[in-house]
Amino acid sequence: MLRWLPGRGTRRVSRDIWRNGDVLSAAVLVALGVYIATEAGNWVYYSDDGPGPAFFPVWYGIAMVVLSLVLLVTTVVRLRQGGEQAAAEAPDWEGIRRALITWAAFAVCALLMKWLGFMIAFAMLAFFIITYVFRQPPVMAGVAAVATALGFYLVFPLALSVALPTGVFGF
Amino acid sequence: MDVLNGLLHGFSVALQPANLFWCFVGCFLGTVVGILPGLGPAATIALLLPLTFKMDPAGGIIMLAGIYYGAKYGGSTTSILLNIPGESSSVVTCIDGHAMAKNGRAGPALGIAAIASFIAGSVGILLLTLMAPPVAAFALQFSSPEYFALMCLGLALVVLLSGPSLIKGLLSLLLGLWLTSIGTDLFSAQARFIFGQSELLGGMDFVVVAIGVFAIAEVLASIDAGDKARMLPVPKGLRNLLPSWEELKACRFAFINGSLTGFVIGILPGAGAAISSFIAYGIEKAFSKHPEKFGQGVPEGVAAPEGANNADSGGALVPLLTLGIPGGGTTAIMLSALVLWGVRPGPLLMTESPDVFWGLVASMYIGNVVLLILNLPLVPLFAQILRTPVHILFPIILGISLVGAYGVSGRLFDVALLVGFGLLGYIMVKLRYPTAPLILGFVLGDAMERALRQSLTMSQGDLTILVRGWISATMLICAVLILLLPLMGRFNKARVQAIAEGG
Amino acid sequence: MIGSWTPGLAALALVIAAVPAQAQQFKPTRTIEFVVHGGPGSGNDVFARQLSTIIDQEKLSPVRVQVVNKPGGGSTSASNYMASKKNDPHVIACFTNIWLIDPLVQQAAVNRLQDMSPIARLVVEPALVVVLADSPYKTLGQFIDAAKASPGKLRWSGGSIMSRENTVRQLLMQKTGARWQFISFPSGGERLAALLGGHVEMMIVDPSEAGEQIRAGKFRAIAQVSARRLPGFPDIPTIQEAGFDIPDVPQMRGVVGAAGMSDATVAFYEDMFLKASQTPLWKKFVEESQLDGEFVRAKDLKPFLNSFEATLRDILKDAGVKVVR
Repeated sequence: MLRWLPGRGTRRVSRDIWRNGDVLSAAVLVALGVYIATEAGNWVYYSDDGPGPAFFPVWYGIAMVVLSLVLLVTTVVRLRQGGEQAAAEAPDWEGIRRALITWAAFAVCALLMKWLGFMIAFAMLAFFIITYVFRQPPVMAGVAAVATALGFYLVFPLALSVALPTGVFGF
Repeated sequence: MDVLNGLLHGFSVALQPANLFWCFVGCFLGTVVGILPGLGPAATIALLLPLTFKMDPAGGIIMLAGIYYGAKYGGSTTSILLNIPGESSSVVTCIDGHAMAKNGRAGPALGIAAIASFIAGSVGILLLTLMAPPVAAFALQFSSPEYFALMCLGLALVVLLSGPSLIKGLLSLLLGLWLTSIGTDLFSAQARFIFGQSELLGGMDFVVVAIGVFAIAEVLASIDAGDKARMLPVPKGLRNLLPSWEELKACRFAFINGSLTGFVIGILPGAGAAISSFIAYGIEKAFSKHPEKFGQGVPEGVAAPEGANNADSGGALVPLLTLGIPGGGTTAIMLSALVLWGVRPGPLLMTESPDVFWGLVASMYIGNVVLLILNLPLVPLFAQILRTPVHILFPIILGISLVGAYGVSGRLFDVALLVGFGLLGYIMVKLRYPTAPLILGFVLGDAMERALRQSLTMSQGDLTILVRGWISATMLICAVLILLLPLMGRFNKARVQAIAEGG
Repeated sequence: MIGSWTPGLAALALVIAAVPAQAQQFKPTRTIEFVVHGGPGSGNDVFARQLSTIIDQEKLSPVRVQVVNKPGGGSTSASNYMASKKNDPHVIACFTNIWLIDPLVQQAAVNRLQDMSPIARLVVEPALVVVLADSPYKTLGQFIDAAKASPGKLRWSGGSIMSRENTVRQLLMQKTGARWQFISFPSGGERLAALLGGHVEMMIVDPSEAGEQIRAGKFRAIAQVSARRLPGFPDIPTIQEAGFDIPDVPQMRGVVGAAGMSDATVAFYEDMFLKASQTPLWKKFVEESQLDGEFVRAKDLKPFLNSFEATLRDILKDAGVKVVR
């Protein structure tokens, strides 16, 4: 049992613990579970007409709290046993940054669609991804972006009469 | 009219040139609609409905049914190639289908999907032909406790979908249960977890969640992994574009499993094709000799769910045609089409409108052959899509996802949800939470809660109603066994290890 | 094509000329959006598509009437959409009871039907109270006596708690003091299956759906939910005739325009739908679906909606639903 106790570098280990994805996500899920169960607490649990709207959420909310606590505790214990090992799997921040920027561009595209319509917003997204994420020459990216946007227009609204979001320009 | 005479009569109706033509049109449209997300069979049928008023009812229903089952053939295409589930019934196909595509086996995966669809689709119709009335009587025995047990059985599959960490799989499942309860509660009109957004009153659509968590997350994860300007491998030569004999042989059991599971679950009005495909996948993995390979691209993992969702079409027509009970959105609109044509769907349809009933059944045999002929040559063509350089392919995937999400109900709100679920899926991938259980919880959670509350309302709070019937009791025991087996396996392993270490 | 259009247009010109001169005539200039709160294939969708097909075939509108589906949240997606199209004379919607009920029970549903521009009520849908053919209950009275004898044991399948099935049950339970359970099922198919399988004892169902089951000898109708007896069921008493004096709960469908429509615009649409409702095609549809096709004009519709909303509010309160407005 003694070897479980932290020896040197206790502080670093505890900081690393909070950097660990499992610990963080488990903590978030504990909070979500508490939220679900308390929110459900405002509703009817059981009435003359049978189980109410709170009946089911209360139970899966509690299950979520319990399971995420188990995950939290086991991970912390595991990290304390082998803190050095865990630190070795450093995430590739460069890749994560690239993915998150792509996601942000996607989100901006979805937002702009309200005003610019699908065609323009999508062409902008495509241009951004091709040039920024994949580092392709802008001319080629521009051609590809316009071509794919037109392709979507041909297939969906034109050939299949599926409506796409339109903006202030009317397309 | 006995079955053989009925069927012969049906073929004489279905083989009339006009009806053959409508059958082909329906199958073709269905395939197109299935391939493209954002267009569902229900919406297509609704659009075409006014055009069919002037048609003969037999020709009309033959065409509409073609759209219905044809869409299930096409649904696997985007799942396999792009990890975009076009229909709710093809979500499970993403798991092993897209993995096969990433291994350079996109062609075989598409081929197996088509073949499994053909076999199971045909078996489904055969069962519909031979035993529709007794099977319909069986379906009526399913009450809320049975549905609850079925959903428990489905949720127990989380064990098989979880990967290395069962606890993370369970958490992902619970997240799915929560997401599916967002919206207005059917029983009490209570708005749950809507954060003041009236758009959420109707809940979130399955397709939006699935596309976000699968397709968008996949694109983000690939970009993260630095797959720059790379192409997915597509080996040359026809031999590599169609399934090999070994792959087909590996699917023997999956074809049978998919056919039977899909048909049996299809006849239940309260279940659906998505549920049958999940359960068929679960059965396939549970009985496999190499369950650990599932998820890395095994052909059985494509054949079982694809077969199931096609056999489901045959099953779903049983209550519709013999009892006048529609099982889901698409069959409901086919029912209203029949009414508009002046055909009365109900228990007497089979005897009073034999042209419609037997013509439809016979046309479905033909339709499945048509679909196979239509789809197999397309396989090499579609597989070429993956030759597109990644820097073009990824924006296209994002674009198709946007169209698909918007197509659900024409709201930008769904597009915003898609963006959110894309991020959630990516975070889950990064933190090694399996995403399939989330979808499983989302599909089954709502039906499970309903069935449980219906049961307890029926019995006035008496829990024993859940195990009183033999069907529900059996299913619940199976669910418990599925949940416990891996735990026991793990316990054994741990004990063996402890003994070894201690020794 | 041009040849076949011309007489239609000429007739239309005549029709427009025949309308009494108003300050400003309205004439649609682009495609009319006909918003439906259900998905493709829902009852409302089929209803609206039937109407738009008739308008198209009889050339009652100079422009196309296109059905637009805005499903989600009962009627809220559709009514939110209508609110976003305020003052647009080219957007109309097909409403049902749920458009009145959602704002009553959902805090987040803020768009009231009366604040838009009601145009016409087209049909009222009657319903039948049915039991299995081999059920011991021959009349509604016998069912209620049995429910009194064993409270909470008998079961009734239906839709959501806000549906007419539950409203009628609540009214009957209050009137008689009997109590039985209401089992909610989201789809009509499941409700039917529950009764056919004997998992519930009774249900309220559309006559078109029930008619086939009755003809096949599976169901027996014991009462009808309607102000007067349906032509197809002359021997079945209405609930009131069966001796239960509860208010009638009509299930209606009609047309409403986006908020801010001028009187002339409303008059145009009212006229268009009045003509549509007089076509043989529509009459056939109404007859086959066993609907009550009484046309209610815009000027009578608004007061009706207000009083009906008040009735619904009371009924829902009594049913134990939390009313927020």
